[in-house]
Amino acid sequence: MDRNHQRTRSILDSLGQELIGILTPVSICMFTVVLLVCLLNSDPSSSSASFSSIATAAYSETDSDSSWDKLLGAFLNSLVFVAAITVATFLLVLLFYLRCVNFLKIYMGFSAFIVLANLGGEILVLLIDRFRFPIDSVTFLILLFNFSVVGVFAVFMSRFSILITQGYLVVIGVLVAYFFTMLPEWTTWVLLVALALYDLAAVLLPVGPLRLLVEMAISRDEDIPALVYEARPVIRNNDSRLVQRRVWREQRSNVNDDDLENNEVVTVVRVETQEEEEEEQRSEISVPLIDSSRPESSETFLEGIGLGSSGAIKLGLGDFIFYSVLVGRAAMYDLMTVYACYLAIIAGLGVTLMLLSVYQKALPALPVSIMLGVVFYFLARLFLEVFVVQCSSNLVMF
Amino acid sequence: MTVAAGIGYALLALGPSLSLFVSVISRKPFLILTLLSSTLVWLVSLIVLSGLWRPFLPLKANVVWPYALLVLSSVCFQEALRFLFWKLYMRLEDVLDSFADRISRPRLFLTDKLQIALAGGLGHGVAHAVFFCLSLLTPAFGPATFYVDRFSKVPFFLISAIIALAFVTIHTFSMVIAFEGYAKGNKVDQVIVPVIHLSAGMLTLVNFASEGCVIGVPLLYLVASLTLLHCGKMVWQRLIESRNQSGPTLR
Repeated sequence: MDRNHQRTRSILDSLGQELIGILTPVSICMFTVVLLVCLLNSDPSSSSASFSSIATAAYSETDSDSSWDKLLGAFLNSLVFVAAITVATFLLVLLFYLRCVNFLKIYMGFSAFIVLANLGGEILVLLIDRFRFPIDSVTFLILLFNFSVVGVFAVFMSRFSILITQGYLVVIGVLVAYFFTMLPEWTTWVLLVALALYDLAAVLLPVGPLRLLVEMAISRDEDIPALVYEARPVIRNNDSRLVQRRVWREQRSNVNDDDLENNEVVTVVRVETQEEEEEEQRSEISVPLIDSSRPESSETFLEGIGLGSSGAIKLGLGDFIFYSVLVGRAAMYDLMTVYACYLAIIAGLGVTLMLLSVYQKALPALPVSIMLGVVFYFLARLFLEVFVVQCSSNLVMF
Repeated sequence: MTVAAGIGYALLALGPSLSLFVSVISRKPFLILTLLSSTLVWLVSLIVLSGLWRPFLPLKANVVWPYALLVLSSVCFQEALRFLFWKLYMRLEDVLDSFADRISRPRLFLTDKLQIALAGGLGHGVAHAVFFCLSLLTPAFGPATFYVDRFSKVPFFLISAIIALAFVTIHTFSMVIAFEGYAKGNKVDQVIVPVIHLSAGMLTLVNFASEGCVIGVPLLYLVASLTLLHCGKMVWQRLIESRNQSGPTLR
């Protein structure tokens, strides 16, 4: 062996790769939403058109109300929204119980098409208007239609190029998140906190709908149709059982929610680890930061966040959406809060992943990140900004 | 002044860090994680400092000593935090080494440790640049610009970007010096880092004088280049040392 030319690999070369694999799309999604918010919201007069959806059904905020009224109204809105989500999730559990999986899949595809065509079209029209981009409506409709149809196929079919599937999932997340940032301010913050609490309850409580769904799927050894982002491709050429399917619950406001899961069968897991071992002998050892080689355990959940069969981390699309909503709403105040909230969300995601590796069961990904994000937003807005502006405007830095 | 100017100011402050990131840090995922956690740690330190100083703000306009006190307290706090950060890093190193033993891979090389220290320092620099310079750049993307009274020759954004660049350099490389100093117990290195940080902070107080930036900023760059030289010399010595130690087998 020629020692002089071979560079021994240190463990640092590939440690932490899966984490980066999930952090990158989350960052891209947040960055795109912030960019859209900055580009499209610079004209305050045009944003007075209120965005009416189920989240503002109970109370629509106006500038002239007092703080207490706004807070109360925001609570009512969030209550209505969380109640609607709970009802929809239980409906999903019921449908899954009655084995209407095909209906769910078709409904999902239909909703994905509506989101890409409708919401995507609206945002594109706003962008065209902002940049005075010359395009005629026929070309625009044809391109939009093609874009949406390819998106539906990418999200549905398992053998699509993984990059395009991931790209379309991020695009769907960006579109829905942008529309959520158009909610009134108080409602957005209270809604985020309420959803974080709901996620915690739905996943961890024994009576929570998401937990029921997971248990049903395990007892039947079936896959749940789910809209999740996976950081690494899960499809092997000879294994057609692992098919990613999607589910989408749509409200009147075109809201997707929550993170559902997939579950793997024991034998499949063993097959994969064998293949992975062969792969590892050929190339350098890709050391997982989170130890996912557990062929004995028959249940590898991913809900909210979890581990896929190939050890890749899966994150539900709802998490993408609500992280981006938080950062987008922070962008409406100032960029300093954006950076603070971004770091807080990434830290929360890291903490959740560490907990995942410790507890080895399904965990909700929203609570830690959203709580940290909200705390950092208010800290940055109330304390940090004054301090930093005071120092920098006098050119005093440390 | 326009989008081009805004991007220009941002790149002025963060350009070298961006190239460092792309060439060194993005190669290894663990370094990206180190950078993000380091940025978070320094953000938390800024928030704590702003929480402590909030009752006393806004400070009076032309009086220097409150600002001196502010800089002194902030630098002391951040240096104490740097020591804690190093302690945390030692624990992490132990975990990584035992992990490497468990999977029978070689332990952390010297270059690995230096790279982790570099990523930590870059996180500090990026946190400084982002919060002291970039977050104030939003008006620069618009049609006008802004001048401060104390230095009317150069737009505010430009001067803050230049100062931020100096600080990024100082923070990035003093972290490497500090980690090596704490690891080897070298008193000179351990003391020189807080001294550099404090002197850099105090030098920005020179900007209080009218047209003081003309003196303040070049001196700041002098400090930055001193840090760079010291770090380079130290790293070179360590590499030569370790190569001599490991004998004729080259890596």
